[in-house]
Amino acid sequence: MAVSALATGCQPPGFFDGQNLWHEWVVNFFPRIGDSICRGMGGHADGGPPNWLIYLVLGFLGSLIVVNIAALGVPFVVLLERKLLGRFQNRIGPNRVGPFGLLQPVADALKLMTKEDITPAAADKIVFALAPLAFAIPIILMFAPIPWADHASLANLDIGILWVIAVTTAAEAGIFMAGWSSNNKYSLFGAMRAVALLVSYEIPLVLSLLGVVLLAGTLNLSEIVLDQRFAPNILWQPLGFFVFIIAVSAELNRAPFDQLEAESELVSGFHTEYSGMKWAMVQLGEYAALIGFSAIIATLFLSGWKGPLWIPGYIWLVTKMAFILCAFIWVRATIPRMRIDQIMAFGWKFLLPLSIINIFATAAEVIAFPDALPYWLIPINIAFAGACVVGMAKLLGFQPKTRKIVIPGRPVIGDDTPGRIVPLMRGGN
Amino acid sequence: MTLKTEPIIVNIGPQHPSTHGVFRLRILFDGEVIHDVEPVFGYLHRGSEKLAEERTYTQIVTLTDRLDYLAAMSNNLSYCLSVEKLMGIEAPERAKYIRTIMAELMRISSHLMGLGFFLQDLGAFATPLMYMFREREKIMDLFEMASGARITYTYMRPGGVNDDLPPEFMPALRKFADEMPGYIDEYERLLRENEILITRTKGVGVLPRDLAINGSLSGPALRASGVPWDLRKADPYEVYSRVQFDLPVGQIGDNYDRFLVRLEEMRQSLRIVRQCMQQMPAGPFRADLPMLLRPPKGDAYAHVEGPKGELGFYLVSDGSISPYRCAIRAPSFINLSLLKEMLVGWKIADMITIVGSLDFNMGEVDR
Amino acid sequence: MNVGVAASIAFWIMAIIAVVSALAVIVTRDIFRAALFLILAFLTVAGLFITLSADFVAAVQVLVYGGAISILLIFAVLLTRDVQKGNPSNRMLKPAVFLGALFAATLIVVITNSTWKLSGDSPPQGTTAAIGDALVNSYVLPFEIASVLLLAAMIGAIVVARGRDE
Repeated sequence: MAVSALATGCQPPGFFDGQNLWHEWVVNFFPRIGDSICRGMGGHADGGPPNWLIYLVLGFLGSLIVVNIAALGVPFVVLLERKLLGRFQNRIGPNRVGPFGLLQPVADALKLMTKEDITPAAADKIVFALAPLAFAIPIILMFAPIPWADHASLANLDIGILWVIAVTTAAEAGIFMAGWSSNNKYSLFGAMRAVALLVSYEIPLVLSLLGVVLLAGTLNLSEIVLDQRFAPNILWQPLGFFVFIIAVSAELNRAPFDQLEAESELVSGFHTEYSGMKWAMVQLGEYAALIGFSAIIATLFLSGWKGPLWIPGYIWLVTKMAFILCAFIWVRATIPRMRIDQIMAFGWKFLLPLSIINIFATAAEVIAFPDALPYWLIPINIAFAGACVVGMAKLLGFQPKTRKIVIPGRPVIGDDTPGRIVPLMRGGN
Repeated sequence: MTLKTEPIIVNIGPQHPSTHGVFRLRILFDGEVIHDVEPVFGYLHRGSEKLAEERTYTQIVTLTDRLDYLAAMSNNLSYCLSVEKLMGIEAPERAKYIRTIMAELMRISSHLMGLGFFLQDLGAFATPLMYMFREREKIMDLFEMASGARITYTYMRPGGVNDDLPPEFMPALRKFADEMPGYIDEYERLLRENEILITRTKGVGVLPRDLAINGSLSGPALRASGVPWDLRKADPYEVYSRVQFDLPVGQIGDNYDRFLVRLEEMRQSLRIVRQCMQQMPAGPFRADLPMLLRPPKGDAYAHVEGPKGELGFYLVSDGSISPYRCAIRAPSFINLSLLKEMLVGWKIADMITIVGSLDFNMGEVDR
Repeated sequence: MNVGVAASIAFWIMAIIAVVSALAVIVTRDIFRAALFLILAFLTVAGLFITLSADFVAAVQVLVYGGAISILLIFAVLLTRDVQKGNPSNRMLKPAVFLGALFAATLIVVITNSTWKLSGDSPPQGTTAAIGDALVNSYVLPFEIASVLLLAAMIGAIVVARGRDE
């Protein structure tokens, strides 16, 4: 029953019996808390409170934790991004507020709260006010099925990954609402680009997931993690990972796919007119999606909370997420933005065929080895993925063609020393 | 089947993250494609030409600093050459070398900023810009040693320069000239073969050779279109006839060519600086002139190859201590004259990069 | 009070929201807001599916209707002029009212006259695998026919979008 899935759930009696060591508490922190609250309320006992009350309390507490992971994580991810961007750019980054600038998020939050909340006179005021909520709430919903450790997802949904994709797609409505209701042409352009980008990248995103789903045979995120017993999925699914991570950066509107914000073109795109706490909500949604998707990437491809060492699962997961976040920030600091039509072409002509190839290859492998994929498939898969990417790039003519700068061979006007043709730049064409 | 569409007018600027100052464009869009462009200037008009009529010839140098505030030395040089031509005098040899070094350093600095903001417009989130700021900082340190200022130097005077180079200047300059090629290589490695940069710039904003000549463009924007025209070669002033350097010229005049031409010009500027360092003689740094200059009646026009193009000052003297008329040929302004031809048919994103690749400065456009 | 009661409370809340927003789609003059109400109706229908333990269908409802269909709707709205004025009244009003009344009458007759069977079985846990199995085993022919239909529609859309001159 879906309602029952919404609670952290009392563990069945005897689940932890015989293990009362302190490290057991550390490792199974989240299930332990849920279990203790459940027992504290007298669950499983005769005459105890009804199950729905326990579900309600546990669900509420669990939601509180997860919402706070999103809401309190965002300022620190923003700080991490600013610090790292600073380092990438030969700067120091924020370091004035608190030690190493650690209190910068607090200062930012205070600043945003005290800022004037401006609504443009010509805006559709109700939609304008609702848009940040319509954007941020679905994104926080995506945190529900993420397994933070063993038996520690807020909602162990049977449709876990489908749920994540569905709610993040629904967040797109918030972007339109913002873009349309602002009554600003930049916002409108941003919203239109959002439509185009979403339609183009949703498909490779979902299709590249299917490889993982085929391997695990389930959509349930906890089971997908448990399925990666021997090696993380990135080794079995390098091509799927490649397509997924690119499609995710488009879904997240991160560089080089940040067309809908595109500061140098559209000022801030769909949230140009937002200020104060409404802007903070938009920002919360964007960065919560970043955190959420790094957790999803870690779960699907990097074996989630599982790790080779005896370290609590949630620490493994957060470590992997931190790596993915840093990779996203690195890309943002390095790569220029693509043009909207180039991005469309890239999504439809490059990523979509690759993701379909990936599905077929994975299906063939799963049929050939129904029990478990042999290890010798790993190098073959990696080589296959490389060959597919390079081959597809060659097929579409993506070759870095540079150009020489000519220094004319004839005497330049007024020049007494003849010019020369020098191979001043490396590279052909 | 045709879809009925309705174009919209979008006002870009004067407050916009990538209009390089207070530039305003009214653009007629069909979807994201540009149909018509109407540039609007004048938001930064300070009346420099009129103000010059009430200043003495030496005071006007401070006004020139504020034209293209990213290339103040070149402005100083152009003005001082014009006054010298008006008075029929020449600066001492050492001053000429100093001024050439300064002008070339200024060109490097200005190109660094031009490239940095161009890449910023491409959406490379400030990283190349910050790298380029790092080197520009070194050039500003050099200028600070010589003039005491970092943006508005007012270093040159009619008949020479304000002060001789301090003793620590030449070692610092030598160090810079040794380091800088490595940095330029670094930019190239980072950007030149970047797939996204190439798809964004190649073939975008093509300015054909004939159109560029007819639009009387100058500077890197003209050379990128394949015209080897440079006043340093065509009408050598100062010591340019004594140094060797090459003119990098583009092939088709797109954004990528303009990007590459600027990168290469920085290398050539360094070459000039190194030769000047070797050839520089000792001696006076300023001609012996009275405090108040009173050029004879007449007029003179002197031009230099500034970082953005041909920068010229036309001065008319009535024999008094102030010019009767001072007219400025601002390269940024004239380089913008073909904006419409370059922009129509491209998308918003390309519009931003094309405008960025022209590397104009509103302080100079509006004067 | 048990889970069933909680589910029926949830059902009524969502049913009321769904009906009200569906009404608002018709009543609102501003097309953009009407589209937003339509999305709300879609999402509450997804909630109704959850109360029926049909997780998979609920997620697909959100993904397809809340995401894709609503995007297309809003995209169409963004390209429309005079959004705030809504549709002008035209001569199709009377036939529309007639057809709507006919449809409503049919629905009411069908709903009141059918016998609604209640299954005593507990709802299946994990519908996804069963749906997948059914789609590619028992109902593979309808599934493929639907695919071909969609393919034909896609090709048609491409032909229309390309225009004649290209």
